[in-house]
Amino acid sequence: MTGSAILDVIAIVLLAAGLGLTTIGLYGMLRMDAIMHQLHAAGLITGPAVILVLLASIATGRAAIITSAALVILFVLITSPLSAHAIAQAARRRGDRTDEDDD
Amino acid sequence: MPDVVLAIALGWVTLLLFAGGVLLLRSKDTLHRVLALDVLVVLVIVLLTLLSYRRAVSYYIDAALALALLSFTSTLVAAGHVHRKEQR
Repeated sequence: MTGSAILDVIAIVLLAAGLGLTTIGLYGMLRMDAIMHQLHAAGLITGPAVILVLLASIATGRAAIITSAALVILFVLITSPLSAHAIAQAARRRGDRTDEDDD
Repeated sequence: MPDVVLAIALGWVTLLLFAGGVLLLRSKDTLHRVLALDVLVVLVIVLLTLLSYRRAVSYYIDAALALALLSFTSTLVAAGHVHRKEQR
């Protein structure tokens, strides 16, 4: 098995995992109604799923693509928790509570 | 990466994009809409990344980076707007 074939297999596994997580997250968002529950499922898509798909760039073997993908991963790691926090803060201010939240 | 895999992945993400559109249409209020748009932009980022792998050029990922920046700003501003509106 040559090096590029191994890279291909790794990239396909990463891609399949990323798309699977995206599907699960979107299904969860479609099923749940409360904004806090939807936010939980959306965190799966905006965090790990997109990072896994971007990590699959190693199989392309092009420095430009890998560099850009690394930049996007860094950016997503910083901004996805921030935007989720902003939405959760607005929902909490509005009075949305989960069933377990009783403070 | 084999072309077949990328073609299947592109088709799958396009289907997910339709599901995201259903999510956006079903949303009840502003915050649900903001969240659905956030997720839709992430799906478009994945689509652009796959297109970049398929055509072996990096421009599409750069466009995805700009899109992520725009989405982040608009999410913050929209959530902040809802936040302020409830404070009054």
